[in-house]
Amino acid sequence: MNGGYTLVICEKPDAAERVSDALSGGRSRSEQVEGTTVFRFNRKGEEFVVCAAQGHLYGVSDPAGERTVYPVFDVEWYSSDLVDEDGADAARRTSAIRKLASGASKFVNACDFDVEGETIGYNLLRYACGGKEKSALRATFSTLTEEDLVKAFDDLKSQAGLGLARAGRARHAIDFVWGVNLSRALSQSALGSGHRYRTVSVGRVQGPTLGFLVEREREIRTFVPVPYWKASGTFEKDGEKLTAVYARDRIETRQSADKIREECMGREAVAAAVRRSTVQVGPPVAFNIGDLQKEAYRTFGYTPSRTLQIAEKLYLRALVSYPRTGSQRLPPSINYRSIIQGLSRIPGYSASATELLKGNLKPVQGAKFDAAHPAVHPTGERPKRPLEASESAVFDLVVRRFLAAFGPSARRELAEVTLAVGEHEFRLAGGRTVFPGWMRYYGRYAGYRDVEVSPVSEGDRFKVVSVTVEEKFEQKPPRYNQSSLLEKMEREGIGTKATRADIIATLVERRYVSGERMEVTDLGLSVVETMTEYVPSIISTELTREIEGKLESVEEGSGGEAELLRGTVRSVVRQLTALSANEETVGREIDSALTASVAKSFVLGKCPVCKTGNLRIIRSKATKKRFVGCSNYPGGCRASAPLPQKGTLRTASKPCECCSWPVVYVMGGRRPWRLCVNPNCPEKRKP
Amino acid sequence: MKCLVCGREAVKDLCRYHTEAKERIREAYPLWVKAYGNMDWKDFLDNVKRNPQTGQWTKEIAELLRG
Repeated sequence: MNGGYTLVICEKPDAAERVSDALSGGRSRSEQVEGTTVFRFNRKGEEFVVCAAQGHLYGVSDPAGERTVYPVFDVEWYSSDLVDEDGADAARRTSAIRKLASGASKFVNACDFDVEGETIGYNLLRYACGGKEKSALRATFSTLTEEDLVKAFDDLKSQAGLGLARAGRARHAIDFVWGVNLSRALSQSALGSGHRYRTVSVGRVQGPTLGFLVEREREIRTFVPVPYWKASGTFEKDGEKLTAVYARDRIETRQSADKIREECMGREAVAAAVRRSTVQVGPPVAFNIGDLQKEAYRTFGYTPSRTLQIAEKLYLRALVSYPRTGSQRLPPSINYRSIIQGLSRIPGYSASATELLKGNLKPVQGAKFDAAHPAVHPTGERPKRPLEASESAVFDLVVRRFLAAFGPSARRELAEVTLAVGEHEFRLAGGRTVFPGWMRYYGRYAGYRDVEVSPVSEGDRFKVVSVTVEEKFEQKPPRYNQSSLLEKMEREGIGTKATRADIIATLVERRYVSGERMEVTDLGLSVVETMTEYVPSIISTELTREIEGKLESVEEGSGGEAELLRGTVRSVVRQLTALSANEETVGREIDSALTASVAKSFVLGKCPVCKTGNLRIIRSKATKKRFVGCSNYPGGCRASAPLPQKGTLRTASKPCECCSWPVVYVMGGRRPWRLCVNPNCPEKRKP
Repeated sequence: MKCLVCGREAVKDLCRYHTEAKERIREAYPLWVKAYGNMDWKDFLDNVKRNPQTGQWTKEIAELLRG
């Protein structure tokens, strides 16, 4: 249509507002279309209307849509309101975009420039705008600052992200075919054992990820520690004492340990070697999303999904660049000087920024590269309103890491002293920072401690004051936490930077793992063990990694997604055949784990009143309300307590420190809240 | 057949997890004997059972073997 306006599609409402403000110089008018806010303005004599999706407005589903029907290979894209139960907002937005498309003569996809954003924009242009996915122009930007947005719209590209969209659509279809068929087959097999329908899900990436957790869980639960000994000595010279550890880290037998003590006591030690060296410690590279998630977990304990959510909020407020990036590089095009000048105007960073601005700005670059976006970096804009504590923490981390990348290498002086007592050697080592370099910019996150070593010269003689021998045991392997699991997924090449955190959250949600400690539940064990026995390819890392590799080729524009989908269908058919041949056994094993898991989820913990029964969540037959009661009620225990009637309850790993009653987390609102179920807990009476 | 320890499906008298745990215990015994110079099988099981580093399934097997 000639004479119409340019319709700009953004991924989120906040982004639409920013785009409109930037392009109109703050003179856009907002209006309501089908109950959603859109922005209208003129720019260089052209009329623009900016609208927003809210994540995916189209999703993959099967025409039948029956959860008990499988196999399903005939998948289609549907408007999300037909796929999701909570799709009313999606329906309004799709309808608004459809209506706006009818008056538009030009279309611009301004969704986030990555696989998911491209897929969101592509689907809207194709289905809601009447086949405009190929003729639409693409605005590509990595920050929502006015400067970047204006530049992106002055330099609109055609067909910029079609490879990404094709890969994104293929990924959705493959994951749907994989997940829906195998999950339905598993759920149905458990149903065959006579219980009510319960979803047992297993996804393409979820399966191998759960496999990693189960492998570690088995190592932990079958672990037998083996004893060994460590020795250390206290030495004295001129009234000054120092402690050194025995050079052999692990002494295998008690007899050897005792012999070391006997042979050293009462003797003299000689400083046989004193080595001092200075090492350069280079600055850390700027964050990609995985690195940011790991560092936020290390420093603040935030889960990967929480960090991603916070980083996205900061992006939508134009404070940091697009966070879903794999890049560890900062290209000069982001304009280092301008960003650091901006940071110099923010309290807390002005000294570091001003200092850096005096020199040549050349950041250290990482090995990982992402063509679509640079490493996560601050935009240099100052927060216009106060940030929440968690937002402030992540913002500070990103800013300091960015500044540190421009800093000079730090220098650390290391010292190692070897003390010889006859044939036995003891060592003491230390280190201190002599030039902080980048560490000053990274601040408390740098994490290097100074351990001073007393001045010792070769040939110095010491009296052996004491030798201590300590019995030790091998430590069981640590459980994965959300951060180390994310790292493992990255290393194994499964999932994407955008999906890994959600996959981990799904494992918790499905009760395959419990809580922060990522302890695999009986249900998780059972699902993996059953798969390993009958359909090992479901938890195979190789197959998932191979699919990821092929999807990357599609992203790069090599095509081949149709063959990839056909290959997935063939693989799923093989897996379903194997499942079907063992349906009864698989069903029995999964069902028994499900039953145990549900029963366990009702038990809150030992009853602190009678000390024999368990406190459980019970639903009253008369009122249908839930409350806490003791399993020893028939034995006379009358312990009981009311419970909130809304929200999902999860038992905390430890009882209340004040009264020993169980503690639950109530989920459902914005954040889970902690509740000691004891209505008379002394803690609750505190003002 | 059910596992003597946990009631899961068993191959002989133990499920796959407890069979694996039993294997680990048998492998560890000579290492403990070497480490301490001498150790009775029952003392070994008691020590394994008490050790906070011991895995849950191996603790259960140590308990079973101790009788």
